[in-house]
Amino acid sequence: MDLEQQLSRDMTRRTLLGQSARGLGAFALASLLNGNLQGETTNAPNLGTHGALPFLHFAPKAKRVIYLFMSGAPSHIDLFDNKPKLKELTGEELPKSVRGDQRITGMTSGQSKLLMVGPAYDFKRYGQCGAEITEMMPHIGSIADDISIVRSMHTDPINHDPAVTYLLTGNQQPGRPTIGAWMAYGLGSVNKNLPEYVVLLSGGGGQPLLARYWGNGFLPSKYQGVQFRSTGDPVLYVSNPEGIDPAMRRQLLDGVQQLNRLQLEAVGDPEISTRIDAYEMAYRMQTSVPELMDISQEPKQVLDMYGAQPGKASFANNCLLARRLAERDVRFVQLYHRDWDHHGNLPNELKRQCGICDQGSAALVKDLKQRGLLDETLVIWGGEFGRTAYSQGAISKNNFGRDHHPRCYSIWMAGGGIKPGFTMGKTDDFGYNLVEDGVHANDFQATILHLMGVDHKKLTYRFQGRDFRLTDVSGNVVQKLLA
Amino acid sequence: MIRKLLVILALCNVAASASRLLADDPPSAPDAVDYNRDIRQILSNNCYACHGPDQAKLQAGLRLDKQETALAALESGGAAIVPGHSAQSKLIARIASHDDDEVMPPKEAGKRLKPEEIEKLRKWIDQGAKWKGHWSYLKVERPPLPAVKNGSWPKAPIDYFVLQRLEQEGLSPSSEADRATLIRRLSFDLTGLPPSIAEVDAFVADSSPGAYEKVVDRLLSSPRYGERMAQKWLDLARYADTNGYHIDNHRDMWRYREWVIDAFNRNLPFDQFTIEQIAGDLLPEASISQKIASGFHRNVMVNFEGGADPAEYLTKYVVDRVTTTATVWLGSTLACTECHDHKYDPFTQREFYQLFAYFNSVPEQGLDGQKENPRPSIRVPSPEQTAQMEGYRKQLAELEASVQVKLATVRVEPPSAPVALLAEPREYVWVDDAIPVGSTASGQEKDKSWHWVNSPQPVLQGQKAAERTATGLGQHIFTDARQPLLIGSGDKLVAHVFLDPANLPEQIMLQFNDGTWEHRAYWGANKIDWGGDNSPSRLAMGPLPEAGRWVRLEVDAAAVGLATGTVVNGWACTQQGGHVFWDKLGIMTRSPQGSSLYENQDTWELAERSSAKSTAPPDVQAAVKLEAAKRNEGQNQAIRDYFARYFYTKTRATFDPLNAEAEKLKKAQADLEAKSPLTMVMEEMSQPRETFVLTRGDFRAKGDKVAPGVPASLPPLPAGAPANRLGLAKWLVDPANPLVSRVTVNRFWQQYFGIGLVKTSEDFGSQGEWPSHPDLLDWLSSQFVDSGWDMKALQKLIVMSATYRQSGHVDAEVLKHDPYNRLLARGPRFRLDAEMIRDNALAVSGLLDGRLGGPSVSPYQPPGLWEEVGFGPTFSAQSYVQSHGIDLYRRGIYTYWKRALPYPPLVTFDAPNREVCTDSRARTNTPLQALVLLNDPSYVEAARVLAQRVLAEGGSTTVERIAFAFKLCTARAPKPEEASVLSQIFDAQLAAFKQNPAAATKLISVGESSRPAGIDPSELAAWTALGNVLLNLDETITKG
Repeated sequence: MDLEQQLSRDMTRRTLLGQSARGLGAFALASLLNGNLQGETTNAPNLGTHGALPFLHFAPKAKRVIYLFMSGAPSHIDLFDNKPKLKELTGEELPKSVRGDQRITGMTSGQSKLLMVGPAYDFKRYGQCGAEITEMMPHIGSIADDISIVRSMHTDPINHDPAVTYLLTGNQQPGRPTIGAWMAYGLGSVNKNLPEYVVLLSGGGGQPLLARYWGNGFLPSKYQGVQFRSTGDPVLYVSNPEGIDPAMRRQLLDGVQQLNRLQLEAVGDPEISTRIDAYEMAYRMQTSVPELMDISQEPKQVLDMYGAQPGKASFANNCLLARRLAERDVRFVQLYHRDWDHHGNLPNELKRQCGICDQGSAALVKDLKQRGLLDETLVIWGGEFGRTAYSQGAISKNNFGRDHHPRCYSIWMAGGGIKPGFTMGKTDDFGYNLVEDGVHANDFQATILHLMGVDHKKLTYRFQGRDFRLTDVSGNVVQKLLA
Repeated sequence: MIRKLLVILALCNVAASASRLLADDPPSAPDAVDYNRDIRQILSNNCYACHGPDQAKLQAGLRLDKQETALAALESGGAAIVPGHSAQSKLIARIASHDDDEVMPPKEAGKRLKPEEIEKLRKWIDQGAKWKGHWSYLKVERPPLPAVKNGSWPKAPIDYFVLQRLEQEGLSPSSEADRATLIRRLSFDLTGLPPSIAEVDAFVADSSPGAYEKVVDRLLSSPRYGERMAQKWLDLARYADTNGYHIDNHRDMWRYREWVIDAFNRNLPFDQFTIEQIAGDLLPEASISQKIASGFHRNVMVNFEGGADPAEYLTKYVVDRVTTTATVWLGSTLACTECHDHKYDPFTQREFYQLFAYFNSVPEQGLDGQKENPRPSIRVPSPEQTAQMEGYRKQLAELEASVQVKLATVRVEPPSAPVALLAEPREYVWVDDAIPVGSTASGQEKDKSWHWVNSPQPVLQGQKAAERTATGLGQHIFTDARQPLLIGSGDKLVAHVFLDPANLPEQIMLQFNDGTWEHRAYWGANKIDWGGDNSPSRLAMGPLPEAGRWVRLEVDAAAVGLATGTVVNGWACTQQGGHVFWDKLGIMTRSPQGSSLYENQDTWELAERSSAKSTAPPDVQAAVKLEAAKRNEGQNQAIRDYFARYFYTKTRATFDPLNAEAEKLKKAQADLEAKSPLTMVMEEMSQPRETFVLTRGDFRAKGDKVAPGVPASLPPLPAGAPANRLGLAKWLVDPANPLVSRVTVNRFWQQYFGIGLVKTSEDFGSQGEWPSHPDLLDWLSSQFVDSGWDMKALQKLIVMSATYRQSGHVDAEVLKHDPYNRLLARGPRFRLDAEMIRDNALAVSGLLDGRLGGPSVSPYQPPGLWEEVGFGPTFSAQSYVQSHGIDLYRRGIYTYWKRALPYPPLVTFDAPNREVCTDSRARTNTPLQALVLLNDPSYVEAARVLAQRVLAEGGSTTVERIAFAFKLCTARAPKPEEASVLSQIFDAQLAAFKQNPAAATKLISVGESSRPAGIDPSELAAWTALGNVLLNLDETITKG
């Protein structure tokens, strides 16, 4: 980049910063409180508008993140971490030496015996890299050479609510911002017509979700994820009331803006000017959001690739929407898919969820790749913890269950600076304890920020006297995963 | 380009210059550095992490938060700080070093002092390094009013402090806002609602000297005042209608919300307000109201996620109480001391758990709240419900009296009158299609016990048979039949069984209960080893009966140890494996059974004694257990009366109708009781839980045991304070406490001016901000305490000031100098809170429902939102049930607060989710807010009803009507250019709707409120569209 170009980019950013400072937006206040956010100059200006970070800490590998959150905790043992030995030992008691003094939940702590049970289905080797993945996920198998499987994730909490909260906010207790909110706050927006943090939900039943999973915590509420929906208004209240057509809306809006401008002249409060901008963005969203959500114009082969059906709410549709959001430079897209909490009837339930999630997840990666977007888009697939090597309840040929297991589990990541065709981390023969290359929830968070060009120790927000960060007081970037 | 750059740079500097102004210009010596104002925060922010109060993390033995340690000789020689000699002070050398190995803070901390901070420290050391205790922990002293030059401006004591600062800065206050603006500002600030046009006009016309005060007094005495003040307090109290964790189901807490509103309205002094909320339940003779108030700390989120550890969550509830108490009353951030000593402030981890001990003895469960409120909760009936309850009580008393009269007259045979036996044994069927009345089903698989199936499954008699497939042992059991079997001589117990030939059991067994289960008979293998082999407690009856058909089984009562005169009240059908059906259980007997069972009192007494589940009153139960000879006359009478009333065969016709009536009344009473709202309250366990320091905050890692106590850096507990929450509450509001009054007045100040005198209203510690007007803060604090903690007086003190009454006009020069209006050279101007925006739309349209208090309501909400995230209909608050009628138009404060997904229009305007205590809401300005105001049916309906109002009350011409509508929304008349914009919009809309009447009809059909007949739809739609514009104006949603 030549000097002039860089200067002009810089200028753009500062102009926007300046505007916000004039607007006294909450973000400006925030960045003033966090002196250290502004102190540093690097070669990587933050191109996002309204971000608290004027400069990125490193040249970013990824411009955006798509996080396919598998709520309920898919079983690593049955999906990505093959344990032949466990299969042999099915029906035998988990050795005390393996379990150690580790905490187990109240759902199985009353069981007289913890009997081991092997994977429900066979594993296959996929791709050039030969990654081992369940035969129930052939589509994900087909992108094995594009993804990194992390078999050594681990976390602290053992129940859903605190574990999701922990993985996404760095703390088990509610009150802190989610990863997407941190990004929106630190990096700002790179598009003019859509929010920077978008949330899509799918799957019925299963573990409940809470809006705090895409919440802003102690950050101002504008950083919370905005839910895009397949039924009703695609964004709440984005549709005009019946009887008001777009032309009429424009007229009315012009009236509002005219009157607000008169008020701005009379009162001089820069907040009015910010409001005028917000109304323009709202108007643009009235077009951009329905256009984005309308997948009916996608070619048939694309719809088929995802298994998406226009007009329906599904995980596959959400994957396709995630690609469309990525194309439009939305910074952080978070999908939540429910119903991976297989305490019982695991073989059937797991098969069913694989059927729902396999194709769309893989199609997303392929589609991003064929559009040249994968390199700059970090895709993450995984849940809040893993599942136990032992069965919850009785074991029969077609029926067993697995309880929560935070000691180790598997996720996969792709694109955006992640090493392709790679499997990292090792667990013991029981899929119960970590053996090698543990990736703690905080390490995972630090790595995501790193790929986005952010030093996790330096993206902070002063709240109640403390400079908080996503990774709290720990976290190391997982170098092995980086391409 | 260059010009643009300069402008930008100037703008970027705005904030920096503002903070410099705050810090650099003390009144006396312009160059003097003040430790509290200038130095503490630099040290705290950059150094305390390793050289501060946290003993565990202390590096090199150097502690900079205390004078004696900071000046002491260092392990490495020399001293960090040598007063008067910055050049000799190692601290300066290290922070100013360019050597990466030398420089402090160390590189890995990611922090670096700014040159001006280093300069400040240098100057401070050279001026003698004077230490002061942290300002907020010093006792509040009332400062004198400062001298000002412009003596004519101040209207109230506040103004002297503000003006003095302005004069120092070379600024002058703004002129007073116009009257319309003033009354609108006052109305929003004191009631959360806009003034009516009549109120505006009256105030504008009232030129009497007391006019302003009159308005203030009127607003302060309005019941709406309590609602307005409560809104902020409910954020602090983390009030919500759901439990918060995981499934996030419903809880009833709105009585607490009513209490808060009422407390503000009756101007409960803040000390009492505090005591009742922290420890209302512990006050002597605590009233219902005081108990409700103690619900403050039951507003914590409560969990019952499957598999979660109750001990972990019990800890979380208490931690939340400690940190919330610290935020709300002490303006202190104690959260970090859950795990370690505070990094910045003088609070230790041990002290955290001493505070924890105060809140640790609530008789609550770690996992609770699945079905109804987490315990402890009390029921608080409404006055109507109380009256109804009283009615039932009276009716029952009358009924009871007539029962007594009848009991005195009926005749009962003597207890041991002989039982009349039938001539021949007859079969009496005890169980067919259902277990006997009053009995309880039980067994290993309790929910599956007595699983009844219909044909085409095998059924012998009636509609159903009881079926079970067992792997291993399986049983159907019932006990405590109200009408047991009376065993006579030669009686045989009878059962019918059908064994599934495809899945035969190894063994089947019948068991009979006469108080014990030691009466068993079995067929097939001898697998079940209960009782003694080959005895009445395990009697072998032979091989399994034939499978694939119904077989009658008979057991000789005497052979299984059931003697003549005993009663059997329970029965079990048992199997070892297999698939078995049972039907038609009973007895072949000559004794009376069923309804004629109790012709004899002795029989009943026998049954009563063998029953584990008597319904008799305790005195009757006790008397029956005595031998007849040992009973006194009263006991005999009690037994006889009870028997006659409920069981004696011959008096059924007399008492059954009365009993039925009594049951009905009792049920109505219970239903009413269940309907009267619950509210969670604090209670104290008789035996307090032990409290331990938890290592790293881990509930499993118990360290030292601690007793309740308060932090040593603050004044001690008042003399005689009890070692419980009441003592803590009294300590908080002891005038010696330096924090509570400062924190509280600052928070109220923030409500009026947007930012507190201390900007970090939640943090008065080292990391908090130095007050913009320290003397004003102390003056207000001391005034507040001296007034007897009079909250209304405090509000009045603020709003009567000239400072508050200034125009909010933003002067470009002053904006540059003071962008956040910290110096108060102008009046407050900022966006209304979420609830006020809603309330305003409802008020100006006339839709607002004015009822005070009551349960939460559910306004229009797009369908499916809760269901998408919910856990399904097993639990409450998983699907949204919209309210109707006037409940749609209640103030925002009454909106149902679901923590997992709070009402989106409120959240969009920065309302918190209330999971945890929120001290101040951000005030953002976003496109989503525009979408809410433009399109949410609540606002579209408000625009339509506003339109109806305009047509009905706004005069007859378009010009008049526009002026009326505009004034409703802004309290002022439109300027000509504004009126002209509005009139153009209206004309265009009217034309458009006239061309498309269908669109008009659609628009005016939004919302459930009625539409008056006789209005042209196009005209109403055009005014609705205009109303939509007005409700979206910056001015409408802004307190000017």
